[in-house]
Amino acid sequence: MDAVNTHGLGRTYDSGKDGTRALDGVSLKIPAGSVYGLIGRNGAGKTTFLRIIGTQLMPTDGSAEVLGFDVVREPRPIRERIAVIPQESRPLYFLTVEELVDLHLRQRGMARAEAKERTRKVLADLDLTRLSHKIVNRLSGGMRRRAMVAMVLASDAEFLLLDEPTTGLDPLARREVWAAIRQASRDHRTVLLTTHYLDEAEALSHRLALLDNGKLIVEGTPNEIRARVRWPFRVTVPLTIPEEELRSYGEVSAFAGGHLVFTREAQARSLTELALKRNLPVSMAPVSLEDVFLQLVGRPLDEATPTEEAES
Amino acid sequence: MTGRNRLRSLLTIAYWNGVLPMKRMPLFLLNTIASPLSFLFFIVVVSHGALLLYGVAGGIVLTMLSIGTSVQTDLSHYKSDLKLHDLVVASPVEAPIYVAGLALSEFLFAIPGISLFIVIWALSGNPISLSSALLVVLALILVWAFASALGFTLATYFEDIRETFVFSPLLSLALTVLPPIYYPASFLPSWLRPFAYLSPATYAVDLVHQAMGLTNFNGIPEPYLLPAWADILALVAFAAAFFVIAAKKARWREP
Ligand SMILES: Nc1ncnc2c1ncn2[C@@H]1O[C@H](COP(=O)(O)OP(=O)(O)OP(=O)(O)O)[C@@H](O)[C@H]1O
Ligand SMILES: [Mg+2]
Repeated sequence: MDAVNTHGLGRTYDSGKDGTRALDGVSLKIPAGSVYGLIGRNGAGKTTFLRIIGTQLMPTDGSAEVLGFDVVREPRPIRERIAVIPQESRPLYFLTVEELVDLHLRQRGMARAEAKERTRKVLADLDLTRLSHKIVNRLSGGMRRRAMVAMVLASDAEFLLLDEPTTGLDPLARREVWAAIRQASRDHRTVLLTTHYLDEAEALSHRLALLDNGKLIVEGTPNEIRARVRWPFRVTVPLTIPEEELRSYGEVSAFAGGHLVFTREAQARSLTELALKRNLPVSMAPVSLEDVFLQLVGRPLDEATPTEEAES
Repeated sequence: MTGRNRLRSLLTIAYWNGVLPMKRMPLFLLNTIASPLSFLFFIVVVSHGALLLYGVAGGIVLTMLSIGTSVQTDLSHYKSDLKLHDLVVASPVEAPIYVAGLALSEFLFAIPGISLFIVIWALSGNPISLSSALLVVLALILVWAFASALGFTLATYFEDIRETFVFSPLLSLALTVLPPIYYPASFLPSWLRPFAYLSPATYAVDLVHQAMGLTNFNGIPEPYLLPAWADILALVAFAAAFFVIAAKKARWREP
């Protein structure tokens, strides 16, 4: 079963004469029980997609089914089954962390005893127990964000939509949130999240979608996505090897300590050998998701998109 | 949600938006009493005491009307400052429950003010009968319902809380300055009276005047605008109309 199934989903924001095409013909499926990551540059359309799926925003074209219900015609049953963290949302500042979670659950209709037990558990899972009686206003920004994550994870929703849940969290806190999200997935809940941390997207997501300018650029498991770029390997060499020489291997860019060459496997090997022969330090690795991201959306718009070339 | 869950949800919202803030920030209560009380003071001083009961009637109605503004600013605050509107929309909590919960919490905030006015009424030597008390309560509830529905509808249109600051005074001008809230209706120039009929406050105040038995001012007979049943009917119509508008026009989901 798919938790989400969209067909040519689109949204144009109508602001005066020229509307913004924020989402453009996005068709994708999110398998139930999976963690699905949505990545893309600022303004790519991630929040717009999430808000349409969460029944907070109307699409202007295309269709979307969430948990088998149509987002436009049947929002009620969807809302009964989802919980969201909106981007940039902040918790009610005059409550304690414990009240925040507990009252959120009861507001959703949960009985007192169950709400209490779930609150206790989620606070322990997210290492918030020692803060449970602290007023939210007195927390740091990252702690507040974690409190919001706790609210949503503690709910009985079967589908969680998290818009940048870990923005502003320290590395350890992020990993605690990851663990909680993985646990949610093991409990057969579906998670749709957006993030700008590509290591996080890779570590957490069963599948990923990359949006750019409202369009779906590539979709699949992290490995599938890595395999679809033109340059699946990265080699770093010192600046002493001139750029002209490197260009025959692939795409060259300079960074602080040397040259970064995106290339194919065979060329990567021969470039590594060349560097070793000259007694130069060299490293070679498959591209990271971040490299893929840069390759797919980090180029001028008039160039052909690499996925099209990869397919041909 | 089941009916029981809806009630639980509504009471929870009233608890976190009403009971908890009252416990933690009791000064808020003074704030809700301050402005009707200062109006009353002004009216009494200017009229050398003659308009005391008119001032009390006006204070009761104004306190309830201002709930509309409170609901609207609460909603706008949660929507544009905390970005929590989306969180509520994408949850089992339905719009009427959310608004009713917020409106109930604001009602709790209004209780001290209303009580104070009723004490002044009692101390003024005018008798309070059961039927007059019931009429006042009815007027209160109807104004409350109207104001909450109006506040909700407006709040869903605002993107930014500053729009609220611009719009609210204009609205309260239309709702509360034209209607004869603090003085007898006959004080209003006759060409302005038709405008007064456009505001539900007019009917509410007329009803409260009747409940309080304010039949004359300084010996001059002061006729009521309408019979009590007509006032009630008008208030019900306003409340119902704004419920329909809220249901049809409020932007719960962004269009
Ligand atoms: N309410 C709105 N009215 C008009 N345009 C909007 C509105 N919300 C978003 N947009 C536009 O839609 C496009 C997509 O925005 P969206 O918020 O979906 O991006 P995003 O991928 O979530 O970006 P970010 O990573 O910065 O959060 C942007 O061009 C943005 O300017
Ligand atoms: Mg966003």
